[in-house]
Amino acid sequence: MKRIGYVSAALLASALSSMAYAEIDARAIAFNCWNCHTESSLDAKSSIPSLKSLSAQQLRQALLDFKYDKKPATLMPRLAKGYSDAELAAVAEYLSRY
Amino acid sequence: MIGLSRRRFLQGLAGVGAGVLSGCGGLPFFSGAKAHVVVVGGGFGGATAAKYLHLLDANIQVTLIEPKAKYITCPGSNWLFAGLTGLDQLTVDYQALQDKYGIKLLVDRVSSLDAGQRRLRLAGGQSVSYDRLIMSPGIDFRWDAMAGYDQAAAEQFPHAWQAGPQTLMLARQLQAMPDGGVVLIVVPADPYRCPPGPYERVSMMAYWLKQYKPRSKILILDAKRSFSKQALFEAGWKKHYGYGTANSMIEWHSLADNPLLELDKQNRVLTSEFGDRFRGDVLNIIPPQSAAHIALQQGLADSTGWCPVRPLTGQSLFNEFIHVIGDAAHYAPIPKSAFAANSEAKACALAVTSLLNQTPVPEAHWLNTCYSLIAPDHGISVAGVYKLDAANVIAPVKGAGGVSPRIDAQVAAAEADYTRAVYRNLIADTFG
Ligand SMILES: Cc1cc2nc3c(=O)[nH]c(=O)nc-3n(C[C@H](O)[C@H](O)[C@H](O)COP(=O)(O)OP(=O)(O)OC[C@H]3O[C@@H](n4cnc5c(N)ncnc54)[C@H](O)[C@@H]3O)c2cc1C
Ligand code: HEC
Repeated sequence: MKRIGYVSAALLASALSSMAYAEIDARAIAFNCWNCHTESSLDAKSSIPSLKSLSAQQLRQALLDFKYDKKPATLMPRLAKGYSDAELAAVAEYLSRY
Repeated sequence: MIGLSRRRFLQGLAGVGAGVLSGCGGLPFFSGAKAHVVVVGGGFGGATAAKYLHLLDANIQVTLIEPKAKYITCPGSNWLFAGLTGLDQLTVDYQALQDKYGIKLLVDRVSSLDAGQRRLRLAGGQSVSYDRLIMSPGIDFRWDAMAGYDQAAAEQFPHAWQAGPQTLMLARQLQAMPDGGVVLIVVPADPYRCPPGPYERVSMMAYWLKQYKPRSKILILDAKRSFSKQALFEAGWKKHYGYGTANSMIEWHSLADNPLLELDKQNRVLTSEFGDRFRGDVLNIIPPQSAAHIALQQGLADSTGWCPVRPLTGQSLFNEFIHVIGDAAHYAPIPKSAFAANSEAKACALAVTSLLNQTPVPEAHWLNTCYSLIAPDHGISVAGVYKLDAANVIAPVKGAGGVSPRIDAQVAAAEADYTRAVYRNLIADTFG
């Protein structure tokens, strides 16, 4: 019950953001990013960059740069090529909220 | 910091589920008791499914049934052969799932299933009913493939393909082997758990032997004609272990047309169909596999030995209230890996919450990444992005995925770090 205040705020945010990408459920893609980019990415030990401090715009740009081979990397280009630009934008928007 | 973001994470996600629920408060399960989802098997598939069910809809009551109070991860277990880890470091428990996500844990084994009544019976005698069941029971071994190699023989010649005591036994056998000894590793045909696993194991054993018993050899006796990340493994073996030269520590033999038929335990000799004989000091025989016994016993598998599912939801083709994920299920071309089991679990959790809330099931997206260590500072990877094609069949997305792009020392070292980081993060995402 304690959660209700937050729930409506979250719902509002998701209602707004889902308008732009009505047909894409970003969760289905973004959950898979957390396999690697979890909170433990914050450990100093983890060499995988944390996504926490990145804005939607920064995430989106990084993902597009990976997809179009403008950013050298070992793995992300192989993953980013699996999604449309609109999917990457939706995922960026979604992840920027967590 | 972590606490705060975890709270936001929970609330943001709970908002999605709770919002949907409050919009349809008249659902049958919602008016009376909460929906109860039971998850069988606390490995990578089951633990992820339980956690994400709760994150997606905190109104669902989630029970996880797993016979072992602690789980030893197969991922990372090959590193033990190189002396880089121990079983303690590979062991996780279910405390966080219970404390942070309200999951009810029953440490027990499912002994039978009454699918009509949607009820499970546990070995301890208890019975548990469910609205939907998610099964992620993993694998069992087929003991009929090679004469002389059965469950009892595996205590002497460990497969070590379910991490635990057998992993330690195999490491001790390697340590006790004389310098100049021969290790035989027998690899089954596809599909089996963790396609690159045997070759990572070979690499880790070679790394250890090179330091302590450099005259020894590892012979891979493979039922396949080629293997996962083969070019990357072979390049790495060349670099580190003399592969391809007369002194190579590693030899790979494809026995696709000449299968191994018999183990002579006394003399530690394997004999093939054409009568070739291979003698070893240490024998690591990885048998062919099937879905775990409980899935076979309950008629959830087909003649292949694996459980066919509707990929979008993971629903069994034989029962719409039972979902099967992970190694036990047939998600080909997605390989059987912990990473894939985690990804299948998330798609399944989304589908299950959608079905319970009577909302459309979202398009499924699966991801797999398998990292392997060739040496402590040399990692390689293969990735695949999957979704349903026009015919509703799982297909890799064209142009995506594939193996590590370049082989140079810098990339190899970065990928070795990522191998360990991905392991830690996968554990945190699944059990933490
Ligand atoms: C040597 C090795 C290395 C590997 N390395 C990697 C790697 O680096 N990366 C990677 O992604 N994957 C790796 N894998 C593969 C990975 O271990 C499996 O794909 C993964 O464990 C599959 O998860 P699962 O949930 O399907 O099954 P499991 O993890 O096997 O979990 C199944 C669980 O179900 C329980 N269970 C079984 N029957 C019952 C019952 N009747 N009632 C209740 N519970 C039951 C079992 O106790 C078990 O805990 C490796 C595997 C091996 C062998
Ligand atoms: C298997 C592990 C893995 C998965 C899964 C994964 N990433 Fe990454 N990510 C990495 C690694 C490793 C890097 C470092 C760049 C490289 O070498 O590819 C990275 C880098 C990034 C960066 C750059 C961050 C920065 O500050 O430079 C972004 C953005 C990112 N990933 C987003 C995502 C998104 C979105 C997803 C899900 C679609 C995802 N990642 C899935 C491993 C992963």
